[in-house]
Amino acid sequence: MLHGPNPYRRMLMPDAVAEVEFHRPLAAGEVTSWRSLAAHRLLGTFYEADTVLLPEQGLADLRADFDLFYSEELRRLREASISDLERFAYSFLATEVDITGAWTIDALDAYFQHAATVSEQGESAALTAIAQARRPEVAADTYLVQLALDGLTEASAMSKNLGGAYGPEQSALFKIFIDEFGYGVYESKHTTIFAKMLRSRAMATHVHAYWNFYLAGPLATNNYYYYLSRDHAKFFRYAGAVTYAERVFAPGFVKMIKTYQAVFGDDIDLHYCAEHAHIDEHHGRITREQVLLALAERHGASVVPELIRGIAEAELFGRWFEDDTAAQIRWSDAIDRYRERGAAALSGGGEPRRVELTPVSPFGTRSHDGAMILVLTEGEADLVTSATGEPDRLGRGDAVLVPAGRTYGVRAISPRCGYDLHPTTAE
Amino acid sequence: MDRVVTMDLRQHNTVLVGHDRFFVFRADNQLQLVRDSCPHRGGPLSLARLTPDGRRLSCPWHGTRVGVAALRRTAVPMVRSGDQATVVLSAVAADAPVSVIRRRILANLPPERQCDTTA
Repeated sequence: MLHGPNPYRRMLMPDAVAEVEFHRPLAAGEVTSWRSLAAHRLLGTFYEADTVLLPEQGLADLRADFDLFYSEELRRLREASISDLERFAYSFLATEVDITGAWTIDALDAYFQHAATVSEQGESAALTAIAQARRPEVAADTYLVQLALDGLTEASAMSKNLGGAYGPEQSALFKIFIDEFGYGVYESKHTTIFAKMLRSRAMATHVHAYWNFYLAGPLATNNYYYYLSRDHAKFFRYAGAVTYAERVFAPGFVKMIKTYQAVFGDDIDLHYCAEHAHIDEHHGRITREQVLLALAERHGASVVPELIRGIAEAELFGRWFEDDTAAQIRWSDAIDRYRERGAAALSGGGEPRRVELTPVSPFGTRSHDGAMILVLTEGEADLVTSATGEPDRLGRGDAVLVPAGRTYGVRAISPRCGYDLHPTTAE
Repeated sequence: MDRVVTMDLRQHNTVLVGHDRFFVFRADNQLQLVRDSCPHRGGPLSLARLTPDGRRLSCPWHGTRVGVAALRRTAVPMVRSGDQATVVLSAVAADAPVSVIRRRILANLPPERQCDTTA
């Protein structure tokens, strides 16, 4: 179910990607949809092909995959399609967020402080879901998986904004970057201490081991920072977004430590969380004073709406990250109930779609834009809804309700296995 | 001091700050929070109608024409994120009462169709 230590190959579920109409851009309400998950898997891979990924064990047998991943052929394909894919994934932001009025630097700061306070005082939907879960360990792992998306390649998007010449603000951003990279000491690098946390949970630590379990909301959030960083016309939006993120990380990690200590006691290495709870106090101050407000002072009123837009959009994506993760945790944690609801709602469903698998079929996960009832019609299979929880065994005739946007995979147990997907209005 | 106010745009369209009133004005498919006061004698611009060309509001008190572009330039800083609006009000006394309400906004109706005789 996990991806091996090969960062160049990722399961995209090509048959399911073919369902997506890419000519119709995503709407704000579709961030957690299958359309979104499919697009953001592609987009994230495109972005990461512009970073250096080398497997910890060395290239050895992966040299051919390395050559293909960074090949001119795929580079040209990326370059030809990435702008259209970004338009598909993010064009809704232009109408979802509006910045109007006569902004001043004081107003910018007042808005920023308000947004940060709301986040600090609000609850984390995902941490609440963990605390309320019947299997809190599995729920907590699901959240770690979403953090691993960025945690194992941390600050890669930020690195895109370090080049050029833009004065003291560049140096301020670089200070944060140095912290992320442990001052050149590999053992202190944030990715290294994130891996320590995963290891303490007996989880895999290679990049994108949990590719199949990344959710659309977290992927869209992670890609958003690449989206802003790839195109320097969006630099001021990036500055607003990164300032918001750095400010809310510290209180966010304080809450996470509390929740994870309640779940695992001392059986987890929370050094990564403690490091962020501490250093992001400084990063929050540095980005506000030396990046956000300094850029506004230096470049004047015309950049303020873009700084504000970055703050507002980062706040939105932060919420989608949390809500999507919380929804997955709740569904996976209560799968018995969704089995009952699937069986109860089966009659009167729409025309089913048939899927057949064997035990050697490649494992992949997907979601659906609308709710589905999955009915096993042949053989025996495991329904996989989390990276570390026990899969749910389905026998012939078993049904489960898959709400819109919930990510799952099916693994054949018997030599032949088939299931039907019935569209349903039962959520 | 700056005061930050949030409102759900599905429920509210007006902000009351002490004795001042601001309303949500739709211009070119963008929502702006503008002062509900005509620069002439303080008439309620929320009850004004757009001129047939859609470029000005005609104050209900004395018919003063107020340019939409000028209103946009002086609009209160506002962030709309979905249906949620966050407004930053400057130079507001700490103890000034602030509230959000819903009122009828004639200024958001389509431009008046009658013949323009005063332009």
